[in-house]
Amino acid sequence: MATFELGGVKIEVDEDGFMEDPGVWTEDIAKALATTEGVDELSEDHWKLVHYLRDYYMKFGIAPMIRKLCKETGFPLKKVYELFPSGPAKGACKVAGLAKPTGCV
Amino acid sequence: MDAKQIAIGSSTRLPAVEKTPFYHIEKPVTENRGDHFLRAFAAVLEFTDYKALLDSYCTSSAKCNRCAVSCPVFMVSGDPRDIPCYRTNILLDIYKRYFTIGGAIKARLSNGFELTEEVIDDMLEVFYRCTACRRCTQSCPMGVDHGLVTRLGRYILSLIGIVPKALQVSVREQLEGETHNTSKVPKDALLDTLGFLSEELEDMVGVKMEFPVDKSNRDYVFFCAVSDYLMEPDTLMGNAAVLYAAGDWDKWTIGTTNYDGINYGLFYSDWHLENIVKQLLAEVTRLRGKNILIGECGHASRSAHDFVPVFGGPSAQPVVSFIEYTLRCLKEGRIKLDPNIITERVTYHDPCNIARSGWIVDQPREILKSFVPDYVEMTPKGQDNYCCGGGGGLVSIDEIHDYRMRIGGKVKAEQLEKTKADIVVAPCANCKKQLKELVEYYKLPCRVMGLHDLILRAIEIPGGKSPAERKEEAALLEM
Repeated sequence: MATFELGGVKIEVDEDGFMEDPGVWTEDIAKALATTEGVDELSEDHWKLVHYLRDYYMKFGIAPMIRKLCKETGFPLKKVYELFPSGPAKGACKVAGLAKPTGCV
Repeated sequence: MDAKQIAIGSSTRLPAVEKTPFYHIEKPVTENRGDHFLRAFAAVLEFTDYKALLDSYCTSSAKCNRCAVSCPVFMVSGDPRDIPCYRTNILLDIYKRYFTIGGAIKARLSNGFELTEEVIDDMLEVFYRCTACRRCTQSCPMGVDHGLVTRLGRYILSLIGIVPKALQVSVREQLEGETHNTSKVPKDALLDTLGFLSEELEDMVGVKMEFPVDKSNRDYVFFCAVSDYLMEPDTLMGNAAVLYAAGDWDKWTIGTTNYDGINYGLFYSDWHLENIVKQLLAEVTRLRGKNILIGECGHASRSAHDFVPVFGGPSAQPVVSFIEYTLRCLKEGRIKLDPNIITERVTYHDPCNIARSGWIVDQPREILKSFVPDYVEMTPKGQDNYCCGGGGGLVSIDEIHDYRMRIGGKVKAEQLEKTKADIVVAPCANCKKQLKELVEYYKLPCRVMGLHDLILRAIEIPGGKSPAERKEEAALLEM
């Protein structure tokens, strides 16, 4: 476990920078985590994706199927990769404060 | 990257270690690892049959190194530590020195082998550079199963806490967690996903298929790699389409207590292997299912096929691979695949866990050749195939991505490129993930798909839109 600090944000993260406690997520944390994913500014589209992921996670305890994410946000997978270069499972989920995906994901 | 850059056999060898540590370990043992290792080794020898096997290998292993030329890792790395025989002999040396009288005497007389901290470091790395593809096992003239010895080495290491965190946390969730699956997919999320897939299928084929959940007394209880519910909608819809078209829609079910076919115990622990198999069997028994139907996943298929009879006894339910099931439906004329739909060039990647033993080699080819006009093979193929580079659990370990790309999967990338295929079919959750990453890394002009993803495009659905209509609609959507 490590501590990630940026600006006023201070959180516990795992080796790959995912939040240890997804429950304490805030938008400021999202902004700070985004910088670790090479995203310095979160646009409206970024927020749409992040909030969709976040809401789904709060309801179901896991990220949605990637196809569903694309369909519900209206972003094709290519667009998701443009927004978060390391992809939906690693980049977008990290910024949305989800725990690191496990298993064969 | 162009073809020249990925060509094998160049004189420039790649560095052996990319990162330290090679993989994350949850709570690394730091002191007296040698003592811990020997105690764990002794316990394994006492409670298992590995002793007889090791005695036999100590006598037969000739260190002839013929396995070297069969190993896709060594081919690229050129590091002698990647030679399967080298890896095997680390464990055999420890065994001889500490668990045989002759070895102990020899060590006293001649300053022989000693288990040092360096040897532990060596093992924790080389046992996980191996993708457990077992190609070397096939080429050993003395019959040494290097794959099995590597697995034993991993098992003993895991008993002293040395195991990649990615595998450990997944297994813990599967055996002790609330969700009982490796990707932590809760029941409600599963149901939501099945609802979504049902809507997608209706849009696509024009028929409503409600996924059967927790139905008792069905012919088939379905287990895929649970990651399919997050990553592989087309594979799952292809599975569903076959069951529906074959008239078996009311003969299968998904259980909601346990729906994960993954068994990482196959990669590093007999103990976990057994418990995960038993958990799967408990679900089939709860639902009074007659057969265990395993989705597209190499190691999930093998762990069930080979070990359900071992741990479930003679009355255990038969294990059927979805590929076998689909071929049977095709042969019986229960499904029809339109041969005019797939116009791309297609090749097939054999997942090691189902192909190396010769179990599933011809079946997928028979299916593909029946509806894919431009089908090409890789060389070598079938039982002699090359691993994708992500086998043995390696694909789940993100921190060794660079290793998997530059070394583990390089031979496969080159093989793929030579086929000039537009689509590579890989009926395995592990292989798909690794191959997709390879395609991205080496900028290969092909797409990775599951077998049933392709079937989904060509299958005729009774009462639904024809494959040609669907193809037209899909083309419009892409515009």
